[in-house]
Amino acid sequence: MALIITCPVCGKRNGYEFKFGGEEKGPRPDETDLTPKAWCDYVHMNHCVAGVQKEWWCHKDGCGSWFTIYRDTTTNLERQVQKADHQEAEK
Amino acid sequence: MKDIQRVSPVVFKATPLKTEKRNNWEVVMEYSGEGEGPYLVDLSHKPRFDFQDADLAARKPFGIRIPEIYGGSALENGVLANRMNRTQVSLYCIDGQDNTVIPDEPGFTDVTESTMFVALIGKEVFSICEKLTALDFLDPQRKTPFLFQGPFSHVPCQMVTLSRDGDSSGIVLTCSRGYGRDMIHAVINAGEEFNLKPAGENRFTKWIKSL
Repeated sequence: MALIITCPVCGKRNGYEFKFGGEEKGPRPDETDLTPKAWCDYVHMNHCVAGVQKEWWCHKDGCGSWFTIYRDTTTNLERQVQKADHQEAEK
Repeated sequence: MKDIQRVSPVVFKATPLKTEKRNNWEVVMEYSGEGEGPYLVDLSHKPRFDFQDADLAARKPFGIRIPEIYGGSALENGVLANRMNRTQVSLYCIDGQDNTVIPDEPGFTDVTESTMFVALIGKEVFSICEKLTALDFLDPQRKTPFLFQGPFSHVPCQMVTLSRDGDSSGIVLTCSRGYGRDMIHAVINAGEEFNLKPAGENRFTKWIKSL
């Protein structure tokens, strides 16, 4: 099934125009008392959810924006559109 | 050599009939066998700039207004302004103003020599585009002029649809300079069945003034 992704700048586009940027893992951990294992977990370990997960995408063939979407990994369909960070900061 | 030499990334397999030296660019005004259209015109010598500012609404580059909507374009005083996102706008000096230099104020980047720039003009332009991209240039919800940022012949491009009005339909297209030769090859090949021919700047000037 073709993946359609909603870019916050360009609108709905073919998934082939985008680059996957990995799961959304929350903010970078505080470096105070950060153990190598905790850092390694943050960088390399994924949840690999079978269902809806929040993830990063880049519109590499278009406007170049980085943004998050919710995608159902079992159906490969976008579920809920997130605004790009720069738009959230605009509010 | 006393003068710098500027070379367009676009090369056509056609014989120039009339050329002009302008700002160290060799500009072809007319080619032999241009036909009845559609036309592909090299505009790589036209000055182009990217402009960036956190508060675009407060800025008026070249004295023109910047479109508020992402993907919106506006043609004013011969300058085409295309809103790329919240902070960036691309500016093409497409009608006259070939001597425009980068303004002495922050936020401008001159992209003239790092990108290629062509125009596709004529009735069957969108049939040609349809063979090269999945983007919908005839989307009734978009009002001309408007900007697409997306793949054209698999190359990330900026495309501005200036007119969808029958014979005077036309788009301008820009992408990284390095893709120039292959992009022209792909467009000419796709346009062969529609009798697409390379044309000189005179065709473009006539067309842009008719809009």
